Amino acid sequence: MEKELSNLRGILQENRKQLLTRANVVAAGIGYKFSGGKKTSTLSIICSVIQKLPHSKLSAQEMIPSSIGGLPTDVVQTGIIRALQSHTARYRPAPGGVSIGHKDITAGTLGCLVKKGGEFFILSNNHVLANSNAAQIGDAILQPGVYDGGRFPDDHIANLEAFVPISFTGGQSGCSTARGIADFLNSIAKAMGSDARLQAITTQAEDNLVDAAIARPLNPVDVKDEVLKIGTIQGTASGALGMAIKKSGRTTALTTGEIQQVNVTSTVQYGENQTAVFTDQLLAGAMSQGGDSGSAVLDSNNRLIGLLFAGSENITIINRIENVFSALGVSR
Amino acid sequence: MKANWLLVLLFLLSALFFKGDNSMMIPSIQDVKKKHEGKLMSLPGVVSVGIGLDPSGRPAVIVGLDKSRPEVQAQIPSQLEGHPLIVQILGPIKAQ
Repeated sequence: MEKELSNLRGILQENRKQLLTRANVVAAGIGYKFSGGKKTSTLSIICSVIQKLPHSKLSAQEMIPSSIGGLPTDVVQTGIIRALQSHTARYRPAPGGVSIGHKDITAGTLGCLVKKGGEFFILSNNHVLANSNAAQIGDAILQPGVYDGGRFPDDHIANLEAFVPISFTGGQSGCSTARGIADFLNSIAKAMGSDARLQAITTQAEDNLVDAAIARPLNPVDVKDEVLKIGTIQGTASGALGMAIKKSGRTTALTTGEIQQVNVTSTVQYGENQTAVFTDQLLAGAMSQGGDSGSAVLDSNNRLIGLLFAGSENITIINRIENVFSALGVSR
Repeated sequence: MKANWLLVLLFLLSALFFKGDNSMMIPSIQDVKKKHEGKLMSLPGVVSVGIGLDPSGRPAVIVGLDKSRPEVQAQIPSQLEGHPLIVQILGPIKAQ
């Protein structure tokens, strides 16, 4: 048996290349030949094809000979063979749940599509699409994200359209007057030969409601209004205590959870040295990891309830979709 | 002129009346959480304050900690104005 198989492998090896060059053939291997729907004891070279066609429809080159190297062949219809749906792959059109990111970040998740002025936009987090406030409107968004092999310009799918600035605790002030005063005093300090400089700092940062941004697809046909492994979104709902929820994200794919806390105020770390306080958040059990940020969160009826953006090893933090929509002026 | 004084008197009376009324009620868990969350969030290691349920299904204020901190946990009461308070170790919360 072993000897016979190794002979067969040799024959397959010799003929595989020219078998696979036939337009219809997607795989070639060794197996028992089927005859009249029944497995026989005869080993054969099995050619998997996209579609079985009558001989009359095939040219001489396309036809698979009835035997190769003295071995019988068998033809089975398997259809197109696709890789298991990967969340980190390149998709056109791209649905929700797949890798995406601003050109200067690693990768996050494309949440879903939202509408503004009759047009569709990609919804995700500020820290995914707008590099935590550091991006410029119009910056390139890549699908997949850079960490997953996304490159400009080949994987350029959209441009940053708008983001809700995150107010960081103890960060540089967003107040232009304060910065102006600091700049003025610094210019005097410089003129006086002093090395000391002032920086306008926000001590009492404003509370944040959302970590959200939208991007405009370069071409509307490059995006798909559904979520990978979930399907079509059926409107929106308001997150409530005890609600069963799910998300589809770049890193942990499809996961489910339950809303354990509402009205949550939380301190969230961004990188090594930035933190921001968020209020009116939803808290669920562990259902996400790094890279899942931006995932759309839905209830069991596929209604959109939130935008995932943070978590610990034990929990996941979600923006309420009501707050996301009103901050960005978007809808479903 | 007299009518104005009467209005002021009425306003003061009603203010007193409503104040008395409020003090008779148990404050809602939302109000209690709002009132205490600033102080709770300022404790070292506290990463969240929210509203959830206690093991018996009663609404409770839930305080999240970055790690086990016995000295901080000792400062946190188990009740807040009649509502249960639960401490959970959540770990540091990070943008994902």
